[in-house]
Amino acid sequence: MSDTVIIAEEVSKKFSKNIRETLVYGVGDVSRNIMGMSAAPGDIRKGEFWAVDKIAFELKKGRTLGVIGPNGSGKTTLLKLINGIFMPDRGRIKVRGKVGAMIQVGAGFHPMLTGRENIYVNGAILGMSRKEISRKFDSIVEFADIGDFLDAPVRHYSSGMYIRLGFAIAIHCEPDILLMDEILAVGDIGFVSKCFRKFRELREKGISWVLVSHDMGTIKCYCDEVLYMDGGKSISYGDPDKAISSYLLDMSRKKADISRVRTMREFTPSEEGRIVDIAFLDSRGLEKESFFTGEELTIKIEYIANERIESPVFGVAIYGSDGQMQTGSNTKISGFSTESIHGPGSVLFKMKNLPLQPGVYRVRADMSDSNVGIIDMLLEQKDLRVEGGNSGVGAFYTPHEWVLIPGGNG
Amino acid sequence: MEYTVYEPEKYVKMGIKVWPMMFRELFASGELIWRLFIRDWSARYRQSLLGYLWAVVPPVVAVATFVLLGKKGVVNISVKDVPYQIYALAGLAVWQLFATGVISGCGSLVNSGGMVNKINISLEALVLSSVAQAIPEFLIKCLLIAAAFPVFRFTPPLACLLFPLAVIPIYVLTAGLSLVLSLVNGVMRDTVNVVTLVTMFLMLLTPVLYPLNPASSIVFRLNPLYYLVQGPRDLVIYGRITDPVGFAAASLFSMGVFLLCFRAFYIAKTKVPERM
Repeated sequence: MSDTVIIAEEVSKKFSKNIRETLVYGVGDVSRNIMGMSAAPGDIRKGEFWAVDKIAFELKKGRTLGVIGPNGSGKTTLLKLINGIFMPDRGRIKVRGKVGAMIQVGAGFHPMLTGRENIYVNGAILGMSRKEISRKFDSIVEFADIGDFLDAPVRHYSSGMYIRLGFAIAIHCEPDILLMDEILAVGDIGFVSKCFRKFRELREKGISWVLVSHDMGTIKCYCDEVLYMDGGKSISYGDPDKAISSYLLDMSRKKADISRVRTMREFTPSEEGRIVDIAFLDSRGLEKESFFTGEELTIKIEYIANERIESPVFGVAIYGSDGQMQTGSNTKISGFSTESIHGPGSVLFKMKNLPLQPGVYRVRADMSDSNVGIIDMLLEQKDLRVEGGNSGVGAFYTPHEWVLIPGGNG
Repeated sequence: MEYTVYEPEKYVKMGIKVWPMMFRELFASGELIWRLFIRDWSARYRQSLLGYLWAVVPPVVAVATFVLLGKKGVVNISVKDVPYQIYALAGLAVWQLFATGVISGCGSLVNSGGMVNKINISLEALVLSSVAQAIPEFLIKCLLIAAAFPVFRFTPPLACLLFPLAVIPIYVLTAGLSLVLSLVNGVMRDTVNVVTLVTMFLMLLTPVLYPLNPASSIVFRLNPLYYLVQGPRDLVIYGRITDPVGFAAASLFSMGVFLLCFRAFYIAKTKVPERM
């Protein structure tokens, strides 16, 4: 017997952008269905678009699928299709086992009722019997850790408390498949780590997990495979590193289009000299545009000094696609003595382990004189593209090694 | 374990095979309907001064107004065999079970919009638990009628105890209409306003606050609500239903409407959450 718990076969869902069209189409579709007629869901009408377009994947028992993509890419709609909240307009989804969906925890809470009352109501909404809720009640309360607020109306709860209680109820449903949509963003660090401990415990029991998140660290840590969606379509599916790298690169490129204008600056070089070119070299000294995180990168700055310049200062700055400087240095800060230059030459800025995470970057080089200030500044027109490798997670990569010392005598 | 399959218009394609599935899911939703009903009922009057008294204030005010208008000679309502107050209270109790039930049921999916498109919840449970809010109000009105018997020196027949059971047909009709209207309201929000207006109009064609002669108009004779309101009230006044054929026909009609509406709701309900 197959151990596949979710099979998505070219599944699609359409929406209308316009409220009036939603109304007109809605009345027509519901009326046709009420009369037992088909509303031709596979056809697209004026103003409609595919929010999820021919998505296909399979998820096996005990595995975790990460779904990533920019806002509006169809991730949440896909979760709702898997959960059976929305029906596909094309294709088919097959699900085996009890689904626990955390698309918006606490969605069934009544603000006037106390936390205690809402545990019973929400538990029933999520498919638990009264007996089951009573049995798990203490465990739910302990997990939510909301103290005396248990008997206060939930409208007096903070957003964090609301999420804690909703999450505690949802997690006690004992699902076979857990669908999660970026819901831990508002929890405090203690609660979030408690939740992840619980997830690990559930995974060990063999539950499958579909996780939508913008936190690539979480995706990288927990997911066995990743689906990268954009515009409702599957851009990449499978290996997490490949999908994450592809997503970060695309996002970086999209942002770069906006920020490029901001980071570009015209600078008229002084008569003393100018920067001629910037090149990116790999460990063999070969020029290329794309590097992996952690790879050796040398930025070569070619210059011409029209007259003798005493103790020039060369600087390099690397900008992210948002126009913010990510890293950089200059020869003065680094304590590198340049003495004097005259005529053409080049300066190399060597990074043994490129610390940048996947994305698109721009490099700026400048040359200055301690007396007259900046002589020239050049923003490289070519992007520096960084792709993912086994680079770890977080804002930047740090070269590292691990040492295990068993026995506690280290 | 079998796969649950989600595909376009799954229930439309199922044809008559959908019937057993509908009822299986309805019975499986029993506990949820009860929980949602308790949730809404217990929260309803929590921040209210008069609380459950709100179930009796509107009919008492309506009846008092008509009595006053009658005394001033503005309207001339004469009922036989029973004090007018008891006639009107019994009529209003049955009518409001229908009117408040259908208005509340019609708005139920939209009012639960925050849940409908975020949780895979039984939509019929949401509608039926909302319609059920009219039941405790009706039972409170029954107590009001019972309290009115000694006040207006009316000795009720023993069969008046069947009054709460005799409203089952009108309740079934209310539930059926609410199912379909909640769907339509889900895609077209004017529906609940239209339903409110139509129920007001229907009240004029139904012997709620004043008697109507069915022989005087075919509209009265063909109005099932006529029999569904008159029948239970007859039990209070006479201890028997004066037009059992009409009541039976209207009851069968109610059951038919419920079955058709439930089926329509079931096969079209998947279109609503995405439009919330």
